[in-house]
Amino acid sequence: MKKYLLLIAIIIVISSCSTPKLYNWKGYDTAVYSYIKKSDDESLEDLLKIYDKLIENTSSISNTPPPGVLADYGYLLVKKGEVEKGKELLKKETILYPGSKKFIDRILKQLEK
Amino acid sequence: MRKLLLILLIVLITGCSQNQKLIKSKAYKGIYDEKTSSILILPPINKTTNVEAKETFYSSLVVPITQKGYYVFPSLLTLDILKEESAYDAEMFIDNSMKNVGDLFGCDAVLFTIIHDWTKSTLASYITVKIEYILKSTKTDEVLFHRIGKITYAPQNNSSGGLAGALSNMISTALTKEIEIGRACNNYTFKDLPEGKNSPKFNSDMDLFAAPKEFSVRLNK
Repeated sequence: MKKYLLLIAIIIVISSCSTPKLYNWKGYDTAVYSYIKKSDDESLEDLLKIYDKLIENTSSISNTPPPGVLADYGYLLVKKGEVEKGKELLKKETILYPGSKKFIDRILKQLEK
Repeated sequence: MRKLLLILLIVLITGCSQNQKLIKSKAYKGIYDEKTSSILILPPINKTTNVEAKETFYSSLVVPITQKGYYVFPSLLTLDILKEESAYDAEMFIDNSMKNVGDLFGCDAVLFTIIHDWTKSTLASYITVKIEYILKSTKTDEVLFHRIGKITYAPQNNSSGGLAGALSNMISTALTKEIEIGRACNNYTFKDLPEGKNSPKFNSDMDLFAAPKEFSVRLNK
């Protein structure tokens, strides 16, 4: 009996270890969907928490936060009034992903006004 | 006369080979040539009466494309800027030149999606989703990648045991089910996109066969 249990446990562990992905996006889809849908304080706080996790836990092939996360996080903070911290994150996105530089530099310029 | 016959034969053969499988470097030549690396995802064009489909589907597109190694522009910031520029409804400019969008965002390509069907039957609990994906270059306006996918989810009531049962239980509420089906359609579609610049497998897939342009999948469990 014990043997079987062990075997089942091993199978569960193995099958849950899927192949590593390029980025860790865990929890993002649902959180961003519910923020787009509701745009209330609760869904915003939930989404910000997910961003924190994605930035902290980058265990993936790339070992970096996924594209767009730093920028969207920064943008929401600017909207919330945390302008300096938000701008910092927007700048970080352009360093990590130079493809975003043209677009985000323009956004940063608009914020200076 | 013989020569003419030979030419005719050659024309016939080459004509037929169009239907054969293409390798990726031919099917997605533009992506390899232009070294497409950044993609702007536009809000889906919703041709159905289901008003929620547009937002439900938009939020599911980012992840699979980034996992392929492409840079995708920040979705919330993009959405607000597009609204500011009165470009929230992508059907307004799908036939226009993409150069303006390219200038505004600095993106290599723009992804249009068209939701042709998004039906859920509450009684039979099946869902059908039909989505068209069109990736256009901002440099040449050429279509780089084009797919039409149809997924039908029809659960079988009698076989709810085992792993399949566990899986269908995971897809529990109606909304999550719809999100899951949308995701499944994206996964089937973008699996075939060439590996992007950020992927460790970049430039190693040119000789693989490309999948057909249209696909239809039926999930039973």
